[in-house]
Amino acid sequence: MKMTRLLVSSVCIALAMQTQAKAQDMSCKGELSALNVIAQGMPAVTALDEHLAEFNGKWDTEVKITLLGENERRAKARLDTSTGAGSYHVLYIDEANLAEYVSANWVYPLADVVPNSYDIADFRTDLSNVATIDGVQYFAPFTGGGDVMLYRKDILAEKGMRVPNSLEELTAAIKAVHDPAAGYYGWSARGQRGSGMNVWRWTPFFRAKGGEWLDNGMPAFNNEAGVKATELYLDLMQYAPPGVATFNWSDSVEAFRGGQVIFLVESDVFGPWMEDKDKSTVVGKVGYAPPPHPLPSAGWSHGWAVSRIGANSDCEKVVAGDFVGWATSRDMERKRLAAGIASDIGRVSTLQSEAYKALVPAEYIEALLATGKKTDLLIMASPAWPEIGDNLGLVLEELFSGTRDDVQGALDEAAFFAEDSLQRLN
Amino acid sequence: MIRKPFVALSLLPAMALLVTLAAVSVGGAVWLALLNRTLRFPDADFVGAYNFLRLLRDRRFFNALEISAIWEVVTVAGTLLVAVALSILIFETVKKPLWRNMICFAFLVPVLLPRVAAAFIWRFLYSPSLGLINYLAGLTGAGPIEFLADPSLALISIAIVDIWQWGLFFTVILLKLLETLPREPIEAALLDNARPWEIHAYVTLPMLKGPIISLVLVKAVESLRSFDLIFVMTGGGPGTATETLDLYAYQMGVNMGGRISYASAMSILLLIVTIIAFTIIWRASRKWAN
Repeated sequence: MKMTRLLVSSVCIALAMQTQAKAQDMSCKGELSALNVIAQGMPAVTALDEHLAEFNGKWDTEVKITLLGENERRAKARLDTSTGAGSYHVLYIDEANLAEYVSANWVYPLADVVPNSYDIADFRTDLSNVATIDGVQYFAPFTGGGDVMLYRKDILAEKGMRVPNSLEELTAAIKAVHDPAAGYYGWSARGQRGSGMNVWRWTPFFRAKGGEWLDNGMPAFNNEAGVKATELYLDLMQYAPPGVATFNWSDSVEAFRGGQVIFLVESDVFGPWMEDKDKSTVVGKVGYAPPPHPLPSAGWSHGWAVSRIGANSDCEKVVAGDFVGWATSRDMERKRLAAGIASDIGRVSTLQSEAYKALVPAEYIEALLATGKKTDLLIMASPAWPEIGDNLGLVLEELFSGTRDDVQGALDEAAFFAEDSLQRLN
Repeated sequence: MIRKPFVALSLLPAMALLVTLAAVSVGGAVWLALLNRTLRFPDADFVGAYNFLRLLRDRRFFNALEISAIWEVVTVAGTLLVAVALSILIFETVKKPLWRNMICFAFLVPVLLPRVAAAFIWRFLYSPSLGLINYLAGLTGAGPIEFLADPSLALISIAIVDIWQWGLFFTVILLKLLETLPREPIEAALLDNARPWEIHAYVTLPMLKGPIISLVLVKAVESLRSFDLIFVMTGGGPGTATETLDLYAYQMGVNMGGRISYASAMSILLLIVTIIAFTIIWRASRKWAN
């Protein structure tokens, strides 16, 4: 009898607590006049605009999204959190700065802020892995993946060439198809400085040459692998459109979908961009394949996290957490697909949906599945990475633009700087 | 006797406010420059003059100093040359007030554009593959030219945008100043059979020496604040070919490792260099004007 009474009491208390919790959650309605979000203009972000009224109505608030370029977004978010300004409740976060944010305790674990109803387990494992440190997931991914090789299958067919399977074959093919007089270039890549810019695209080459970032805790990217990777990258840039030394990913992708480039190894998310009838001149002409051996695929992931600095009150935390769940929900991805946006997919259920399969070529899905096996986080997983990567990016840009030509000296300089950055962590 | 204390007392509140604002920000920057504060860590240690001494061994700092100096000279001289040449040309060739006013209105448009918007427009115009300028250059067989990716062209390409904005604006000012000059000295020169260029070289421009010196100083100060234009167009690249001091301070303090103490040291040095340079220029220009 006592046992039964105890059980009944426990259940009642639990139910009461749950009800109270729910009541507490909705008691935040109208408590937050504006929810400030910092982001960059990925399709998944800009597509939110037409649905914001729904969220605003739910919490009687106004979501204000500040859109910035990638480097600027990273800089401003770091400034906002590190100085304690806390202007933003929700942060757009990615693989390059996650380690720094977690080590500085600037973001909440995802499970602490996003309601269970949004089904965190449905996020793609490859993206969630990038969003996770020591078994704790910190951001809700809405885009990401690895690399694919995009190529112009019409041009290759015209020239009787087959799709390259190795880096050597790719190099030879780039040189063979390069024909500026005919209006197209063999290759394009990112040249602009930045840990998420030129360094991001250079890293697979570095890894393909057997490079490791550290040796006994000391920077080692100025070794032979680093030099060979840089020399190859420089060589391939001779077959790229003019101005490639300062190209960002957007310049590269636009050059490809403008019909000027034959081969491009880029993030797989850009595949559907090529099939956009309104913006692409190469619809139906693009082939997709995993990056040729031994190039690995650079794993990446972008998503939303709740800032501990910006959302430090209970209600800010609740509303910000709900925004993250809502913006990355299955329902939101379904709406994006209905609007024809197939590039930003964060959930397994969406990848498996018929709506997704109807929007992208089967060949692209095959390439995605094949590249998944060779996808990994290739950058240095360290809080010091943004600084080390940005500085490496600077010397690479100097080399690409011809401001300097001593590859070894440039990498030595970046490694020397990295030593200092790593030392500051201790 | 009463007048002087009254003037001093009247000025006191405004001066006190200005001095406080300047002292707080400069004092804060100096204090920050003496620490090793980075954005990643909340605490910092006192390091004395370390940041200043490190700057003296920093090749990027000296490169930025050199780029800043070149930028100042090119944009100030370019703006003035364009303004003087165009204002004289319009003064001599366009006689109808309506046409002059229409030209003035058109010349005011570039400076009314936000710097960031102007930077994006020109970045697109300069694009080697999609830009109008390279399209036209291609028709003449000269393209494609890597205006912003070629280290030898990048700085001058951005300077052209700055001169386009400010040179045309200053043209309007100089044209209006030319119109206000008394006719007698010009007519006297005409009676002496002076050619138009001689009239301007020896009569009108010397008469406008004072306003021109003011314009030079205004432009010199404005050129120090070209961060947004350079940042949008090249971000300081290619490499460090367009990296001015303010841009380098931003890269170090915010964009890269968040070394704000190091960036503060750079800002303090920039402040000192600017004060010294402007004091020298100011004194020299006053002598020249007299």
